[in-house]
Amino acid sequence: MTSSSPASDGRQTDTDSRAQAARLSGTLDVAIERLERARPFAKLRYQRPVLEVVRRLLPADGGLDVIRERAIQMDAAGLFAGSDWDSPEALLPQICGNTLLSEDPSFVALEAVSLGRFLAVATGEARHKNLHQDTARHFLTQVLALNLRDIFGQSSEATRTLGDRQENKQRILAYIADHIGLTDVLGALVTEIWRLLEQRSVQVGVAKDMIAQIAVALEEKGTEPGSERLGAERLVSALFGPTVASLDDPGVEAYLERIAHLDEPSLSREAMGFARAMHDTGLISDYHVAFLHHVLDFRDRSLVPAALGLGTTGLDCWHHFRRLIEDLIHAAVTLSTPQAAYGLALLLERGVLHHAPMAPALDRQLQQKLRGHARDRIALGFGEAVAPETHLLAGLLQIIGQPLGVGQGANPTCQSARAIAMWSLIEPDYLLHIVSQASEFDTVLMQFEGTPINSADLPLGLAGFGPIDADPVSVLLVSHLDRIYAEMGRLCIGREGDPHRWINPQFHGWWVSRDCAVAVDVTTGKLSDYDSFLRRFFATYHPLYNGERPVSHPQPAGIAVTDPNRQFVGWHAIAILRVAEDQAGKMRVYFYNPNNDSGQDWGGGVVVSTSGNGERYGEGSLEFGSFLSRVYLFHDEPLRGHESAGNIPDTAIESVREQAIESWASDRLPDAMMP
Amino acid sequence: MTDKNPDKGYVAILGWSLNAIDAIDRFDRRYVVVAPPWAEEYCVQNDIPFLPWDFDRLNERSYELAHRLEEMGVDVAIPIFEETVEWAGAINAVLLKNPRLLGQAMLFRDKSLMKRRAQLGGIRVGVFEEAHDRGDVIRFLKRVNQTLLKLDGDVNDPIHFKAFDKSGTAGHRVVRTPEDVDNIPDDEFPALLESHLDGWEFAVEAWIKNRKIQFLNISEYVTLGYSVFVPATPELEQHRARITEQIEKLIETFDIDFGFIHPEYFLTSDNTLYFGEVAYRPPGFNALELIERAYGFNGYQGLVVAFDPKTTQDELDAFFPTPVEDAKGYAGCFGVYPRRRVVSRLEVPEETANHPFFEFHELSDPREQKVAKRSAFGTHWGLAYFFGDNPHELRDLLKKQEELDYYV
Repeated sequence: MTSSSPASDGRQTDTDSRAQAARLSGTLDVAIERLERARPFAKLRYQRPVLEVVRRLLPADGGLDVIRERAIQMDAAGLFAGSDWDSPEALLPQICGNTLLSEDPSFVALEAVSLGRFLAVATGEARHKNLHQDTARHFLTQVLALNLRDIFGQSSEATRTLGDRQENKQRILAYIADHIGLTDVLGALVTEIWRLLEQRSVQVGVAKDMIAQIAVALEEKGTEPGSERLGAERLVSALFGPTVASLDDPGVEAYLERIAHLDEPSLSREAMGFARAMHDTGLISDYHVAFLHHVLDFRDRSLVPAALGLGTTGLDCWHHFRRLIEDLIHAAVTLSTPQAAYGLALLLERGVLHHAPMAPALDRQLQQKLRGHARDRIALGFGEAVAPETHLLAGLLQIIGQPLGVGQGANPTCQSARAIAMWSLIEPDYLLHIVSQASEFDTVLMQFEGTPINSADLPLGLAGFGPIDADPVSVLLVSHLDRIYAEMGRLCIGREGDPHRWINPQFHGWWVSRDCAVAVDVTTGKLSDYDSFLRRFFATYHPLYNGERPVSHPQPAGIAVTDPNRQFVGWHAIAILRVAEDQAGKMRVYFYNPNNDSGQDWGGGVVVSTSGNGERYGEGSLEFGSFLSRVYLFHDEPLRGHESAGNIPDTAIESVREQAIESWASDRLPDAMMP
Repeated sequence: MTDKNPDKGYVAILGWSLNAIDAIDRFDRRYVVVAPPWAEEYCVQNDIPFLPWDFDRLNERSYELAHRLEEMGVDVAIPIFEETVEWAGAINAVLLKNPRLLGQAMLFRDKSLMKRRAQLGGIRVGVFEEAHDRGDVIRFLKRVNQTLLKLDGDVNDPIHFKAFDKSGTAGHRVVRTPEDVDNIPDDEFPALLESHLDGWEFAVEAWIKNRKIQFLNISEYVTLGYSVFVPATPELEQHRARITEQIEKLIETFDIDFGFIHPEYFLTSDNTLYFGEVAYRPPGFNALELIERAYGFNGYQGLVVAFDPKTTQDELDAFFPTPVEDAKGYAGCFGVYPRRRVVSRLEVPEETANHPFFEFHELSDPREQKVAKRSAFGTHWGLAYFFGDNPHELRDLLKKQEELDYYV
């Protein structure tokens, strides 16, 4: 990897650039010395000049060496004092990539020094009291894995517009890669992709991108054979060559020519190959799409169930609704929307077509035209390679097939994403109903305690015109739902307590329990009668204390999200799906989190698990007590008392209370509970 | 905290300056910061010895403060800002049992008294007068220009207007026309009016102990209010002997036993030195930092050494380097003002960033400020620092900065 750019017009020559780095290193030492000797209370003023010089060193040849050599010294001098970077053990590798592109050059410089510090520790040339060599190495590996495309220098339209910022980022990442190697990176990346795929998100664009990067990496760099290579190849083949006839990634045209000459047993083997790869990864290869259309149009339709890998329920649906299913494949499964095939397979397997309104509702959706604003937004979000109707239909198949795969994108709309997920889980016909309303009339109608609400009449909510980085159904619905949600909130003004008590049942459906418990007093923000809150949750959801009544319908709940340092981040909407023992016999709460990656570290050992502890696709889970320690709002039935609440051992309540108070509730103690 | 030496003095710092506190905390003298009560929480959090005090106009309570400090065992008070100079005088009059110090401080605080005193001491000053209202300013402007034999319609020679009790460039205006006079706000009166001297303006920083100059620095202004560097060019340094003589005259005239002074002078084309004004406190524009960059000693710590009655001559000799000879290079800074009416971001001009003398800057982000029309000299948005081995190149570089946009 070369880090020097050839001299060209108006650019410095390499020698100039080296000389500049040497000179700037002297200036940097002056700035570091000032910072070093400053008292802790005076550090702030001397941090900026250091960052200033670091920023100028970034593009210079040898500049990154200068930074790495002094990174630990800068840390010790107090460069990170007063910022998140001061605790390297709590930094998140996911954030580094974006920080390196920050508009504020100080942040870029800060991140560069921080990475230099990790690098110095990872290579063993320095030590750090809060950073172990292995931890540092692992962190850098993850940073590289998450930014692999920048290492191979492939730029997209979006990154090109960033100019210098992008160049700096690439230099820094390439520099790290040169020092710690890429073998680990591939392994970390593969693990990360599998972790994401295990959650079966509707949106797989990022995972597909990363797999494409791996394919390039394997091709260009090669790695030693080993388990990493195996895992990587499994991913690459699922996308680029899942079957015998597609193994060498021949291109769709060539593939179709090949299978035109295959006999029945060979075609059947192709079908099974596709099904295996799809159910293994949740990803659909372009060849899979081509194959489905081919067998449907020219060969034997009976290969469709095999190619979708259907089990008994799915097969039964196929026999009952073959015409509808064929229409859906024709209309929704395209090279622009391959994932619709996976959605369809799971939709059939869920058996929802046997719910009376579903078949006609899907038939209606097949003819549904998108109009006006709704049409423009889908086209804006997904391009115009295929009609917006195709994207919407594909999105619906995916969401109804994988209800828990809905994500909110980078938008503050967890409530709307959660609603869409819950409806597709238990009332997919209702979801199809409002989708049709929004497609045709650009509005959604609801009622709040008898008051009609028409989203078209309402001002834009939190999400503005809604996201375009989410799935097609969310792109269509969220701006309406968001407005309605806000309007319901407005109608609650003047009522005492948390408005979600009334909004949740009205907004989502009859199946939301009508009573509501809130851990904090809404006006003061302090904990209020917290022990009763905890006991009530046990009595409602814990099978040992609620007479073993299972959760039948998802129940909205509010979570106080905390970061790995247990610091409060914000309130967040989730849904409780079920409470059950995992294979180790521990009672766990399985829940849906509308954010895009449920696997989060909430600090203090509360790490949300997404697989390996009895989770179904898309579920997150925590042990009962750990989960409860982050709950601040839940629903329960008004008719049922909480007699059993007294039976819950005090120790169980105490440990949950402690976990809450050590995290989000640390500054919410009511005066009576102050130590 | 650095170990404090109980055999050396105990000083009170009057006024809130984080730079000063940071430097003095690192030094070997015991200290206490006397500053307004809003600083208390910060000091408690950071273990900074603190005594809350409201420095309003000097009042009879100065005696109370002096006694509290005396009880604490404080030996001397050091003013950090113009506004605390008279407080230091009043306090030190008590602590050092020398009533003359209060009167001396009053001289430093009143630009008009200061100038007359200098004149009485045989120090050369320009034409000056006091102004209590705008009429006085117009009259002075007219008279000065009549003296210069200007006719009606000729462009006036400017005069300088300096609010009596403001420091540095804060209340300093250049007045050319009656319209300029209209723009002076009421609260800047009374003020001192001075004729304009064409010449080379520079400042001196002098640390004094036992009526002797312990260290004398000459700061060369490139453009007043914009840029300064130390040590000065050889062309200015060749006048060092005469300048030293002038400072000794100031020490005699103002009866200065110890401390730190910061006078300003003009060297006119006929090689005459004119005294401008003098302050008994550290200069603005972070000049002490430039001195530290060039010579390696901390100016605030130098202040402590110069004020502390327990300092020995040996310590002084060891503390201060030899002027010019001991300098590692030339350090300068440039005060950046936005040049455009509308700015959106900070961007150091490329030719500055690539110049080997450029070190770093402390400029604020435009989102924190909006561009106001400059009335008096005003406040800059931060400083850019330079360091190099060639004073002429540094001077030209600083001058050049005035034409460059840091904010676009």
